[in-house]
Amino acid sequence: MDADDASFADMRRSLTDPDADRLALDEETVERLLSGDLPSSQVPPGYAQVAALLATTTAEPTPEELAGRPEVLAELRAVTRPRRAGTHARRAARPTKRRWAGLAAVALVGALLTGGVAVAATGNLPAPVRDVARSILGAAGGDLGSATPTRPDPQAAPDASSPASAGTVAGPKGPLPTGSTVPGSSPKGAGPVAEPNRERLCKAYLASQDKDHGKKMDAAAFERLAEAAGGESRIPAYCNGTQPGHPESRDEKQQPPGGQEQGQGGPSPGNGGGQGQG
Amino acid sequence: MIGPEFSAVLKAATYGDEEAFGRLWRDLQPRLLRYFIVAAPAAAEDLASETWLAVVRGLDRFRGNEPAFRAWFFTIARHEVLDWRRRAARRPTEDVPVTGLTGLAAPDDPAAAAMEGLSTRAALAVVATLPADQAEAVVLRVVAGLDVDRVAAIMDKRPGTVRVLTHRGLRRLAERLGANVRIRGMV
Repeated sequence: MDADDASFADMRRSLTDPDADRLALDEETVERLLSGDLPSSQVPPGYAQVAALLATTTAEPTPEELAGRPEVLAELRAVTRPRRAGTHARRAARPTKRRWAGLAAVALVGALLTGGVAVAATGNLPAPVRDVARSILGAAGGDLGSATPTRPDPQAAPDASSPASAGTVAGPKGPLPTGSTVPGSSPKGAGPVAEPNRERLCKAYLASQDKDHGKKMDAAAFERLAEAAGGESRIPAYCNGTQPGHPESRDEKQQPPGGQEQGQGGPSPGNGGGQGQG
Repeated sequence: MIGPEFSAVLKAATYGDEEAFGRLWRDLQPRLLRYFIVAAPAAAEDLASETWLAVVRGLDRFRGNEPAFRAWFFTIARHEVLDWRRRAARRPTEDVPVTGLTGLAAPDDPAAAAMEGLSTRAALAVVATLPADQAEAVVLRVVAGLDVDRVAAIMDKRPGTVRVLTHRGLRRLAERLGANVRIRGMV
């Protein structure tokens, strides 16, 4: 793998560059840096700013980041209505995905653009971190003008319980009772694929996701699967249900066959074991 | 993390309990958005929406504990990124930002410049300057809070590779920030 190869370059460099030696890290320290579990007195030399930077990436959420919920709740309501009613009532149509996404994007881009630096000043980063960040931000600054929002104020976001009011922001009329989608299996109302077939398609799909070892999926089959799932991007979620039997580790089923030969895994520094958080 | 109540929260959310769903949202939406800001900055908000739609529709099919749920959640998120990259590749005429630096806050705001701290978004922008694999591995470890094995599964790499990527990513960040210190020292 390229990453492994590149690690040799790192090692070579560490022999010649004293600075690189200075920055050497052992695997446990890496883990503790990543999990934020390193008191500042124990942060290795050269990494104080990295630790501060990482801490900032996990700062408390800003209101802007949490702003898009009403739209997602509308979808949740539409999806779960039949469940709550305990009937097989037809699921309400959902607003088209693009329209919905556009709406959320407008709200969030606006919120983030206006609030990004001003609001989320969490943690006092050392000056060098700030400088790097500013130089990056400065470099990107030119693109920003046109994107600046006429944004809906997240605080004023309409009460999600009245779908119509969501229209004030741009779009989705919420759940309209005109759909014909069957709950669960086929979000978009495209013909659901019969179970065994679905399983087979999903299997092929998951296998095809393995870049290194995967077998390319037949294009027609992919189309069929995408249609059944309600879009390419929903395939993972759609396929999540196809391999019953090991519920606790279902997420790991996302890993395609062939991606698991771990034996030849890492280069020298971490022989296996340690990983952090649970 | 939601903790011991997770399974009750998840179940309630699956049946449309909005308060329960709100807890999932507060826990995961900021992490999701921050992941996308690094992995697909030009489409972060859009992809976050797409991910939640897929998650909401798949909720009743998910079985598992909280770490598994989080991994499932970010597996969907990463597929959104891959789909987005595919779509972008299919439309070569469209302006596809590669650097990952669009959509950041304007730099010249005097108020912001006067501030001592740095925003989360700006910190993510620094992480995003890493090579894509390294940046993604670091963010999935730190921001998504996933362990090596889960990140490896999500990125479709071996755990050892993920370790190398994060290690190199941290080191590169230290080099970059350290170089900045030296430059400042000389000025």
